[in-house]
Amino acid sequence: MPRGKEKSRTLRRVFKKLPGERTTLHYEKRKPSKAKCSGCDALLKGVPRERPYKMQNMPKTKKRPERPYGGVLCTKCARKKIISQTRN
Amino acid sequence: MVFEIGRLCVKIAGRDAGLRCVVIEILEGNFVLIDGQTRRKKCNLKHLEPLETVLKIKAKATHADVVSEFKKLKLEIKETKPKKASERPKKFKKKKEPRNKEASENTAKPEIKTVVKNITEEKKTASKVKTTKESTPEKKKVVKKTTVKKKVITEKKK
Repeated sequence: MPRGKEKSRTLRRVFKKLPGERTTLHYEKRKPSKAKCSGCDALLKGVPRERPYKMQNMPKTKKRPERPYGGVLCTKCARKKIISQTRN
Repeated sequence: MVFEIGRLCVKIAGRDAGLRCVVIEILEGNFVLIDGQTRRKKCNLKHLEPLETVLKIKAKATHADVVSEFKKLKLEIKETKPKKASERPKKFKKKKEPRNKEASENTAKPEIKTVVKNITEEKKTASKVKTTKESTPEKKKVVKKTTVKKKVITEKKK
């Protein structure tokens, strides 16, 4: 029977096969959602979705694209911002 | 024409976005050769935002000429050396020597026999060792038997 804390839907149910030819149920924590653009709420590319303990051990270059406003704005919003800054 | 040789521009796309550059040469299609704060390479006109200033530069100017013109406009150019790709360490696998089947068969059997013998011999030597003990550092204390006199209380007869 599952324990009380295992009944919450924030955990995902995963069936795992054991070497003794037996399958068991494991309760694992879910990954965070994908990063979104702060301007237009579009999904950002080049930003991985991993739990904090994995993100901390990743190098900086693997967490965001190498360009201005990388990981914050999408390419369209970044271009608009740079153009508005140059014209003003 | 907006994008002429010497036109100051701002790059919009790529990792050089937001940096100032100068048009050096006009190529086929929508491509143009740029240099300045950005890397010296061809670029699409759609990724450039033109500015008002036009510099006096010859076609196919060198990087040094561009640097001198930028200094007049008080624009700094960071000079970086191109990174050389470091060689990855190659892993060499140790070559295993081929085993001779004939030699292995001959040596296997006698090894087993000798092992059994050694064990039996060891047991004999171990048993012998137990009886003949060398002087131990700890000396046993010899306790002499002493008789304890018990006091017998007898009631005096009145």
